[in-house]
Amino acid sequence: MRMNFWTIAMAVSLAGSLCAADAPPADFDSAVKPVLSKTCAMCHNEKLSSGGLNVKLLLSPDSIATYRDGWETILDKLRAGEMPPKGIPRPPEPQMQALIHYVEGEFEKADRNIKPDPGHVTARRLNRSEYSNTIHDLLDVDFRAERDFPTDDSGYGFDNIADVLTISPVLMERYLDAAETIASRAMGADPLPKKPLEVQYHAKDKSIRRVDLGVIEASHRVEWDGDYIIRFGMPGERAADAKPVTLAFWIDGALVKTMPVETKPSKLVYFDPYSEAEVRMYLPSGDHVFRAGFIDDDFVKTLSEKDAYNKKKNKFLDSITFVGPFPSDVERASRKKILICDPKSGQACVDRILTALAHRAYRRPATRAEVASLAKFVALARSRGETTEQGVQLAIEAMLVTPQFLFRIERDPNPTDALDVHRISDIELASRLSYFLWSSMPDSELQGLAEAGKLHDPAVLDAQVKRMMADRRAAAFAANFAGQWLEIRNLDVVKPDPDKFPEWGPELRDAMKTETRLFFEYVLRENRPLSDFIDAKYTFLNARLAKFYGIPNVTGPDFRRVELTTGQRGGLLSQASVLTVSSYPTRTSVVLRGKYVLNNILGSEIPPPPPDVPALDESAVGTLMSLRQQMEKHRADPMCASCHNKMDPLGFGLENYNAIGKWRTEDGKFPVDSSGTLPNGKSFKTPDEMRALLMTGLPQFSRCLTEKMLTYALGRGLHPYDRAAVNAINRDLAASGYRFQSLIFDIVHSAPFQMGRADAPAPARVAGAAGRVPAPRGAS
Amino acid sequence: MITKKSLPRRTFLRGMGTAVALPFLDAMTPAFAATTRAKPPVRMAFVYVPNGIIMDGWNPDYEGTLGALPRILKPLEPYRQDITLFGNLTHNTGRALLDGAGDHGRCCASYLTGVQPRKTVIDIKAGVSFDQIVANQVGKQTRFPSLELGMEDARQAGDCDSGYSCAYTNNLAWKSETQPLPPVLDPRALFERLFGNGMALTPAARARENLYRRSILDFVTDDTRKLETGLGPTDRRKLDEYLSSIREIERQIERAEKDNAQIDPHMEKPYGIPADFAEHFKLMADMMTVAFQADLTRVITFLVTHEGTSRPYREIDIPDGHHPLTHHRNQPDLIEKVTQINSYHVRQFAAWIAKMRSIPEGDGTLLDNCMIVYGAGLSDGNRHLHEDLPTLIAGRGGSHFKSGRRIVYRKETPMCNLYLAMMDRMGVHVEHFGDSTGRLDTLDLT
Repeated sequence: MRMNFWTIAMAVSLAGSLCAADAPPADFDSAVKPVLSKTCAMCHNEKLSSGGLNVKLLLSPDSIATYRDGWETILDKLRAGEMPPKGIPRPPEPQMQALIHYVEGEFEKADRNIKPDPGHVTARRLNRSEYSNTIHDLLDVDFRAERDFPTDDSGYGFDNIADVLTISPVLMERYLDAAETIASRAMGADPLPKKPLEVQYHAKDKSIRRVDLGVIEASHRVEWDGDYIIRFGMPGERAADAKPVTLAFWIDGALVKTMPVETKPSKLVYFDPYSEAEVRMYLPSGDHVFRAGFIDDDFVKTLSEKDAYNKKKNKFLDSITFVGPFPSDVERASRKKILICDPKSGQACVDRILTALAHRAYRRPATRAEVASLAKFVALARSRGETTEQGVQLAIEAMLVTPQFLFRIERDPNPTDALDVHRISDIELASRLSYFLWSSMPDSELQGLAEAGKLHDPAVLDAQVKRMMADRRAAAFAANFAGQWLEIRNLDVVKPDPDKFPEWGPELRDAMKTETRLFFEYVLRENRPLSDFIDAKYTFLNARLAKFYGIPNVTGPDFRRVELTTGQRGGLLSQASVLTVSSYPTRTSVVLRGKYVLNNILGSEIPPPPPDVPALDESAVGTLMSLRQQMEKHRADPMCASCHNKMDPLGFGLENYNAIGKWRTEDGKFPVDSSGTLPNGKSFKTPDEMRALLMTGLPQFSRCLTEKMLTYALGRGLHPYDRAAVNAINRDLAASGYRFQSLIFDIVHSAPFQMGRADAPAPARVAGAAGRVPAPRGAS
Repeated sequence: MITKKSLPRRTFLRGMGTAVALPFLDAMTPAFAATTRAKPPVRMAFVYVPNGIIMDGWNPDYEGTLGALPRILKPLEPYRQDITLFGNLTHNTGRALLDGAGDHGRCCASYLTGVQPRKTVIDIKAGVSFDQIVANQVGKQTRFPSLELGMEDARQAGDCDSGYSCAYTNNLAWKSETQPLPPVLDPRALFERLFGNGMALTPAARARENLYRRSILDFVTDDTRKLETGLGPTDRRKLDEYLSSIREIERQIERAEKDNAQIDPHMEKPYGIPADFAEHFKLMADMMTVAFQADLTRVITFLVTHEGTSRPYREIDIPDGHHPLTHHRNQPDLIEKVTQINSYHVRQFAAWIAKMRSIPEGDGTLLDNCMIVYGAGLSDGNRHLHEDLPTLIAGRGGSHFKSGRRIVYRKETPMCNLYLAMMDRMGVHVEHFGDSTGRLDTLDLT
C-alpha cells in the first residue's frame, strides 16, 4: 500500500498539532462533553430523544468505541453544519472544530488497531459494455451488446456490481448467438456476395424518418461486414449567396463523418436540382440506425416546415443509399490476429493458435488441458468434413461462452478462512485495473507485467495507471463511471416536452452529453482539482450548445474549451446534461435537483417521501403561484421540513436553469428567485454564490466521490469495514490538494483494491464498527 | 425501402418448404398430437401496468353479469363476455409492514411472488414467482417454459425506489428467490428468440447447428464444474445460475429437435423498438399470439412499463410523466390525464384480446383456452394502496370458466388465492402460495 498507516498517523498528529495552537486542549471532558451536555442535550435527551438520539449514553470517552454508529452519524451532521439546527445557540466555531478533530482522532486510533478487512468481491460477470469492449480488444470485432443483451441490473447506482449481475436463460441464449456471430466475423467466414447490392431509403416511400428539420434517419440491416458506399441524396437549392453547410453522418448515435456540402444553385442543373454526397466506409453487420443531417444550419431554422422541404427554397436530405459490400481490409486484421500460423500446417499450429487465444480470452495463461479440450472442437469440425479454420471458429465460439471468459473470478488461497487476508495475484490485479479504467481486458503490456510478477511493485503499478489514464480506452471510464455517477446515461431515456422545449432534439442532446464527457475527461487527463467539478470557469462547447447557453463566438460542430466569463455557468451543476436529467419532462423540480446534489455531490442520502404526499400543483406553477411559493407551503409541514430544508435550497439555487438547462430569469410570469439558505445557516442569492458555498464543502464532495468511485472500482457495495480505506484515501486526497488523479492512484493502492479474503460471514472483528458509507440495507 | 437490384437477402422464412403455416395447431404440435382429438392446452399470461389505476374509471357500480363498462374498461366492452372482473383482491405483501417507503418497488416484486421482497439495493431476495412454478411443470412440453416481455428499458442510472433495488421494478418473473428474469423489450430480439433470425435453415444445417451448440454446452458445463472447486458460497451461486441457464438451453434444443420444424410467424421481422407505444405493444402482442397459437410457450409475463416510470404519453398528448401525474392530489385535471393513460393502455390490451378471440382453436377460440390477466400492483397510485387491486382475466382458461361477470370477494382476499385457482387450471396443484388463505372460488361454470 502506498499510504501506510504510519504516514496517516503522522498526518493526523500533524493536523492535531496545527489545530492545537488555536483550539482548546483535546480531551473528551474539555472538547466533547461541554457541547454535548449543553447544546445537544437540549433536544437529544432521555425525554425527547430527537432523531432517536439520547446523548446521555455518549457522555463517556469509551462511548466513541461502543456507540460507533451513533458517533459516525453525529460527526456527519456536525461536519455538514446541520447541527445544531437554526434557533439553537451555536458554540463558538473553534470549540466545534475541536470536537470534530477529537472524535475523528479517536476513530482513527481505534481503526489503527483493527486488522484491515479488504472484503470479498464476488465472481463478476462482464456487463454489457465490458463485454463489447472486451470483444473489441480481443478479436477486433465491433459487437454492441447494449443492443443485443438484456439490460444489466444495477446496484449502488452502477451496473458493474457483481452481486446483482445475474444470468438468465434469455441472456445465455444471447451469449450463444453472440459467440456464433462474433466468431464468424472474426474469422471473416461469412463470404461476401459476388456483386455489390444497392438498397435505398427514400422519403417518397416513407422508408426514412425525419427526426428533426433537416435530419433524416433510416434503420438498415447490414448483412455482411464490409466496405459500403453510402450516398446521401439532396434535392433542392438555396439562394445564390447561400453558404455551404456541414453534412454529418451518425451510426447508432455516434458521429462518424462530417463533410461540407454546397447549397447554392449549381450551374449544371436547371430544373429539379439535385446533388449527392457520398462516403465509403466499413460497416459492421447487424441492425443499425443511420442518421444524416446538416448541423449548425441556421438557415433552415428560418424556414417554415413546408418551405424546408420545398426544392425551390431549400436544399435538404431525402434519401440514403447503401451500395456494397466491397471487400474490406478491416476484417483481415482480425483474421490475421487469430491465425498466427497456417492452421492447415498441422496440430502444432492449431495448438499455438488456441493457446494464444485462450490466454487472452481468459486473461491468464491457459493450461495445457484447457487447450486440449478446445482443440477437440477442431477435431469435431474435421470429422464432419469441415476445414480446420471452421474448427478454430467453433473453438472461439466455445471460448466466448465459458465462465472463464464471461466472469472475472478471483481465487482465495484459503477459501474457507475469511480471516486470511491476502494480496490478490498480479494477474487478478491486472484485470481489476483494466476493468476499472478501461471497462475491458488488460492489454499485452499490463498482462505481461502481471505475469512477470512485477505489477504489484508500486512504481510499476503507478506507471501503468498513468499510461492507462492517458490511453484512449480510458474513454470507457468517463462513459461508464461518470455516465452513471452523474446519471448522464438517462439523457437517452428522458423525454422533455417538445412543446415546452422546442430546442430539444438529438443534436442538442448529444451536444450535452459530449460537453460533460469532455469536461470529465479533461479534469482526469489534466489532473485538475476536484473543485473544478463544482465551479470550473471553463467548459467544452460547440456552436450548437454555445448558442443554447447564450455564449458568443463559438462556431462549428467541433467542441473546444471555452472560458466562462459570467456567473451563469461553471462546474457540473450548470451543465445542461445534469440539469436535464434532474428535471421532469415538463418542468424543473427543486426536489429532484436538490436530491441530485445531495446524492451525487454531497454524498448525503435522503429518505423517500411518505405515500399520499401532496404533490406539486403543476398547472398552478408560474400562473397562480411561483414554484417557490408552492414549495414554501410544502415545507411548512414539519413532517416534510426536515428533509426538504436540506434538498429544496440546493434545488432553488438551480432555478435559473429550465428543465433542459437553459438560462432563464422568469418562470411563467414570475421572476426566478434562486436564493436559499442551507441547513448550516449559510445563504446565497445566485447559482454562482451557491457554487461558492459548495466549494466550502469540498471535503464532503471528495468523500462522496471516493465512495462512489471505490464502489465502481471494486464492483461491490461498501461496508463498514471499508471505512478505514475511505478515510485513508480522503486524507491523502486532501493532502494532494484534491487532485483527481490522486483519487485514482489512491484507490488503486487501497487495501480493498489490492487485497482479498475468502467469501465467508463477516469476521467478528468489525462488529459494531459501522461507517458512514452507505449501509447495505438502503435506509429510508 | 427500394431495392434496385434483386437482393438475395438470405431467403426469408415465408414460403419456404420447411416452414409450417399457421394456424397449425391441429396439424402439428407434438405436445398433444398423440391423441387424435386432443384438447388444446390452457395458457396463461400476465399484463402488468404500473402506478395504479384511477379506480373510479375501472370498477363498475354493480356485481354479476357485465353490462356497460366504466370509462377505462370501455375498450373491452365488446368482449365483455370473455372477461372476468375481480373486486377486493389484495396484496398484503406489497404493503410496508415495517419496511417503510418503497411501495412501487415492493408491489412489483411481490406481485407474482406473493412475498415481501427484502429491502435492499444489493442482495436482492423475493420469491419464486407463481408463473415460474407453473413454467417448471407445464413448460417441459413447450419450446420455451415461459416468456418474459416488457416495453420499457430499465433506468440506466440512479436509484429505483427508496432503497429497493432496480431489480424489483425491472422484472416481474422470478426464477429463484434471488434470480429475476429480465424481460425482452426489443421486438426484434423477441422475434429472433421465437423464430430464429428470420432465415430458413435446411434440416442438415439445423442438425449441424444443434450438434455444435450441444458440444459447446457440454464443454462449458465441464469447465464450470472444474471452476467451482475451491470457490466460496456466493461465487458458487453465480456459477450455479450460469449452469441452470445452460441446462435450460439444452432443454430448448431437445424440444426443438423433437418438433423439427420452423414456424412461419406471418410477419416481417421487426427492426428494433418502435418509438410509438401502440406500435410497440402491437408487435409484442402479435408475437405473444403466435407463441400461444403455435404452443411455443404456455406462460407469458408482460411488464408493460415500470413501477415509478416517468414516461410521458405524447401519443395521446400527455407530455407529463406518468408517475408524477399519479400523485394527483385529487386535482380533476391530473386525474383526467391519468385516466387517459389508463384507458390508452386498456385500448392496446383490448386490441390484443380481439385478435386472440378471432383465432379459432378446437371448438372455440384461442382466447377461450387462455387466462390473460390484466392488472396492477397498486389500486390508487396517489395513495399507494394495495387493496382492491384492479384485476381482470380475459379468456376462460379452457372450457369450464364462467366469464362475463364481476365477482367481488371479501375485503382483503389475498391475490395469491387467485393464483392458486389459476394454477389448478394450468394443471399444477399447489396447496399454498405466498400468503394465500385458500383457492378463489365461484370461478367455474356451475
